[in-house]
Amino acid sequence: MTKPVELPQGTLEMLILKAVSLGLLHGYGILLRIQQISGERLEILQGSFYSAIYRLERRGWIKGEWGESVNNRRARFYSLTAAGTRHLKAETAKWIDMATVVAGILDTKVEEI
Amino acid sequence: MSLLAAIRKLWHSVAPRTHSDVEEEFRTTLDAYQEDLIRQGFPEDEARRKARIDLGRPTAQNEIYRDAIGLRLFDELGGDIRYGLRALRRNPGFAAVAVVSLALGIGATTAMFSLIYAVLLHPFPYAGADRIMNPVIIEEQHPDQPIWFPLSKPQFDDLRLADSVDSALGFNNAQMEITGGALPEDISGIYLTENAGSFFGVRPLLGRNIEPYDAENGGHSVVVLNYRFWQRHFSGDPYIIGQTLEINHASYTIIGVMPSSFAFNDSTGVGDVYLPGSLMQGLFNVPYLAYFPWIKLRPNVTLAAASAALEPIVRQFAKEHPERFADHWHLALQPIIVPYQQETGRTLTLLLAGVVLLLIIGCANCSILLLARGRARQHELAIRSAIGASRWRIVRQLLVEAVVISCTGAVLGVAVSYWLAKLPLLLSPDSFPAESVIRINAPVLAFSVALALLCGMLFGLVPALRLSRADSAGMALGRQIGVVSAPAKHRWSVLIAAQVALTLLLMATAGTAIRSFLQLMQMPLGYDPANVMKVGIMLHAHEQGEWSRIQSREARTAYIEQIREKIASVPGVSTVAVGTDTTPPDTGDQSVFNIDGTRDREQPQARVMRVDQRYFAALRIPVLEGRVWNTDEDARGDFVAVVNHAFATRYCSSSDTLGLQLRIPGLTPRNRYQVASPQSTAPRQIIGVVGDARNDGLDRPVVPAIYVPYTAVMPNYVQFFVRTQGDTLAYLHSIRAAIASVASDQQISNGSFNGTFTLNEALKQDDQYSRQRLFSILFGIFSAMALALALVGIFSVVAYSVAQRTTEFGVRLALGAPRAHVLWIAARIAFVSTAVGIVIGLAFDSFLGAVLAHWMQSAFAAGNLFTAAALLALSALLACLLPARHAIAVAPAEALRHE
Repeated sequence: MTKPVELPQGTLEMLILKAVSLGLLHGYGILLRIQQISGERLEILQGSFYSAIYRLERRGWIKGEWGESVNNRRARFYSLTAAGTRHLKAETAKWIDMATVVAGILDTKVEEI
Repeated sequence: MSLLAAIRKLWHSVAPRTHSDVEEEFRTTLDAYQEDLIRQGFPEDEARRKARIDLGRPTAQNEIYRDAIGLRLFDELGGDIRYGLRALRRNPGFAAVAVVSLALGIGATTAMFSLIYAVLLHPFPYAGADRIMNPVIIEEQHPDQPIWFPLSKPQFDDLRLADSVDSALGFNNAQMEITGGALPEDISGIYLTENAGSFFGVRPLLGRNIEPYDAENGGHSVVVLNYRFWQRHFSGDPYIIGQTLEINHASYTIIGVMPSSFAFNDSTGVGDVYLPGSLMQGLFNVPYLAYFPWIKLRPNVTLAAASAALEPIVRQFAKEHPERFADHWHLALQPIIVPYQQETGRTLTLLLAGVVLLLIIGCANCSILLLARGRARQHELAIRSAIGASRWRIVRQLLVEAVVISCTGAVLGVAVSYWLAKLPLLLSPDSFPAESVIRINAPVLAFSVALALLCGMLFGLVPALRLSRADSAGMALGRQIGVVSAPAKHRWSVLIAAQVALTLLLMATAGTAIRSFLQLMQMPLGYDPANVMKVGIMLHAHEQGEWSRIQSREARTAYIEQIREKIASVPGVSTVAVGTDTTPPDTGDQSVFNIDGTRDREQPQARVMRVDQRYFAALRIPVLEGRVWNTDEDARGDFVAVVNHAFATRYCSSSDTLGLQLRIPGLTPRNRYQVASPQSTAPRQIIGVVGDARNDGLDRPVVPAIYVPYTAVMPNYVQFFVRTQGDTLAYLHSIRAAIASVASDQQISNGSFNGTFTLNEALKQDDQYSRQRLFSILFGIFSAMALALALVGIFSVVAYSVAQRTTEFGVRLALGAPRAHVLWIAARIAFVSTAVGIVIGLAFDSFLGAVLAHWMQSAFAAGNLFTAAALLALSALLACLLPARHAIAVAPAEALRHE
């Protein structure tokens, strides 16, 4: 098993937005989807997970609606709103930018200066 | 949308998802996770347990939800409030004392605020009331007596069309009679220019106001009713519009009823009915064919600019009618609030200061109670802080508890204030505008809510900061040991000292008020008001035929004399005198006179009183020198005068008073109802000097006065002064019958202008009398409340500290401490701080004495202060000793068993 990765503050929300952007999901589905994509390497604190979902819904980035799950259970399905889509795009761009810059700096070797 | 739906909608926007919604979603997740775990091979029990450990309990999910959407603070405050309420319920004694202390203060302050709001900030119901002005003439010689002036219709139009004037209202008061019923009834009517509706901008309660088209064809015969008149005369009949009212034998159609807040006009007499001004032209019953103006300035025109613009117009009037104006004068525009502002403003400021003091004392009391109770709660707070409550969290909780107390107090206080605010109006009705309606409205409510929150913060903060600074371990231990004496520093000792000082201030003020009221009551009047009643009658002037019978001076004198004799023949009536406008303590017309043979640069002035020769006997005013005129001289009216002692000392010092000749140029008819004797302005010989009777109000010295026979100038009304044996009012019925036997339709007046009441009642209507009475009663109440609050504060501090230190006292007694010593220890701190408070209060009061004396217009006597201090000290001693007694009643064995 590969080493688990700890999430930096604030990134969980971004991951949830991404997971939801890939298709309609209920809460547990989002959790599974993130773990699945990350190759089971992310250990998500359960308590903070739902907090993040509630916050995203409150800000109007995702929208929850009751529906039937695969095994005929009632479940609340989340979808990305237009505002959520914009926010995810902006956050992704910001994250990649930052990651590139940080990675660039960390990769620097003496002779490159 | 109903209120409930609105609240639900608002709540939905704050917290969009319901409790069960959040819980159900979480349960699905929990179930799904549990199934996954079972699939991974966990036994069902284990899976269930692990799911809950990993994800949490469904019931806790709502808290997470509310926290996530930012409702946490709200929830916690809600919890604090619930806890605070529960704490109040658990301690009903404490709660009652704290809530009542605040309710008194908040109630009194809210009442005073609503009074100030109604009287000084919003006294008039008229549109643009702050722009409505009384134009008055200020004579250079008497700048403190502004004079109203009447205008003819063309003059009024000149003024109305002036540049700075938005609109102008002309009015003219007239006495009228309702006829056609079984008995005629005196009423007061006011003719208004027909722009009244738009000028006032007050929506009539029923029907409509007088409108410009009512001026057509010499004026429509229509009438608008005053609310009180409508209530009194028509019992508030809602279908009154369109009915007719017979006034002075002519019928008028009722077109409107004004609301209760409309009482035009308090200065010249509130009208019972309002009529179109154009009617005046064709009628007989108006003394002046003239208008008194009220002008509404254009917005943004300053008072000075408007006065400057109007002055030339009035100067022109003065040229046309030089006899109506003095030599040196200027025009002033007086906002209609001015007559009330000075005296009433002063009264209200003083009362407001009183209630604010009361409020501060109430707050201090709550602080003391919280601190005292806090010591009993230290254990609880220590545990809270030990299990992780931050200091801010504890402070917040204590503050919320304080605000809960203050809000409960405020609710009670506002309820009480509704009643309290009416008290000053009941006690001193003439000091306030008739139109100010006291009600609990939005600004008043906002004020009291703000006040409650402020008070809560104020009195809660000191205890909260003090108690939250607990060192948790020490506190928890301290309770166990008990013998360790409480922390030496007592915040509440400062508070008690302050409270006592303020209470002393209030008590001294009350003492001063009561003392000066008593002084006022004991002031020599110069006449004897007991068992004398003033009975006013209006002579019938509304019909040409009736009027012509009493129009001549001789016929009128005979008519009045006939009535006088009839009243005098009533058994039990000892003296009946006649006078016009001579009801003490404020009597006569201020008039210019000159003494023959002297040349004064300043024109001497005196009160001119028109009375008959029996007036002095009826009022028991002593004749000091010479004599009073006889019956013949009384009928003639000319050539004689009697002066008062003040007149003789002021104007006749150089020579013998008797025999001097004086002339009163103003003794001429002023309107078409008045008749004068043939030579009323000719020289009159002073034939007598009488004692000084109050004639310029109760509190001011007697001014020079000249008495002349009432037949010199006779208006269309007269007053009889009836001295009886025993209670005068008991004779009212027989007097009424006596008058009716002369003329069956001759009614006696009930109005404020020429009404019927005893001279003692007249005394009570005096401004100074009613104001001083108001001060003594209200400050008496305030200081009694303050004293009660301070005593409760002292009592509870001692009681709490004795309860806390039971063990200590037991040990002391067991070890042989004398009882007196233990008593002293128990009461010491409260006692010392009370003493300090009294000393501070004494120092403070002597400093404030001068300020107060100015505001109350009476001397601030040191005697009051020491009496108050002694009373306070004595009662404080009792409040200390009563609870301290419990300290020596402790049985040592029992106290030690507490260990």
